[in-house]
Amino acid sequence: MADDKKMLAQGLRRRDPELLDQLIEQYQYRLFRYLLYITGNTERAEDFFQETWIRVLERGHQYDGKFKFEAWLFTIARNLVIDWQRQKKAVSLDAMTNPEEGAGFEIADEKAESPLQLFLQSESQERVQASLAQLPAPYREVLLLRFQEEMQLEEIAKIQATPISTVKSRLYRGLDALKGLLEGSAA
Amino acid sequence: MTMTNEIHARAEGLIAKERVEGISAAEQEWLGQHVRECARCSDAANATQEALRALRTLSVQVPRELAARTQFRVRLRAQEMQAREPRWRLIWMMCGASWVGGAATAPYVWRGLEWIGHRTGLPDFVWKMGFGVWWALPAIIAATILLMESNERGGARSLDDAA
Repeated sequence: MADDKKMLAQGLRRRDPELLDQLIEQYQYRLFRYLLYITGNTERAEDFFQETWIRVLERGHQYDGKFKFEAWLFTIARNLVIDWQRQKKAVSLDAMTNPEEGAGFEIADEKAESPLQLFLQSESQERVQASLAQLPAPYREVLLLRFQEEMQLEEIAKIQATPISTVKSRLYRGLDALKGLLEGSAA
Repeated sequence: MTMTNEIHARAEGLIAKERVEGISAAEQEWLGQHVRECARCSDAANATQEALRALRTLSVQVPRELAARTQFRVRLRAQEMQAREPRWRLIWMMCGASWVGGAATAPYVWRGLEWIGHRTGLPDFVWKMGFGVWWALPAIIAATILLMESNERGGARSLDDAA
């Protein structure tokens, strides 16, 4: 496992095109899903998906293999979204990432239709999707990282650059909110 | 067991904690027993389980060709970076050589500038400043090239985006 990460780090340092092609294929679903959750917009998620891999190519030498590649990848993707958001609005980073201080991080969707609706097929999925879309982005993000990506709390804290206590609190609140929304939509 | 609000609150807290950060064996045992006896907390446990199950079954469809388009862009960028590499190597080598040469000749340059300064009657700070400029020259040149390079790249990226 450690050897795999080391080899991956070496390949990224060499900017090995075969390796990058393989990584793009391998992580396309997970990265796109993550970006879709945090941006809430399909087109933006696509743009950030491409930009993230360009950044991986340019900054590959910074991956030292100490942490899981996906955690590093998601951190890059997240930082790109935050940078973009910061340029777009003159708001503080805290306000963007802290749901308690408003939903600034959530990218306003210019289209009336929820972006996730374009992707989800079944009716029950639509219900879950509608509930998720109502959650602030940082809650959606932690729920995805914990329960879909099955990441450890430490890894999530690293990606979000926040203390573990904040991650836990977001998870509790997010889970509680999701439960409430699902129950409400089922009633 | 008398069911107080505190007991229900503890059980509900543990139901969430179990999913978020895990609970001890003793807590698990207590919770299991409580949930078996309490319909309200059993419903809460089911609701949590249902919410997580729903979340896990959510699927997202990746746009067609997204991976292929990204691979193409990444390869283009890699080629572009590769094309710039020899130029950069040369710049860094020149900078390195310049620093080494600068360090080796510094005492002579200092004395030379001091001599010129005294001969021409310049105040000390002027020839000392001249020495500073001479010392920083390679860094100034390197910084200028870097700046030009990043401007060029910014322009290229904007064109790329526009395309």
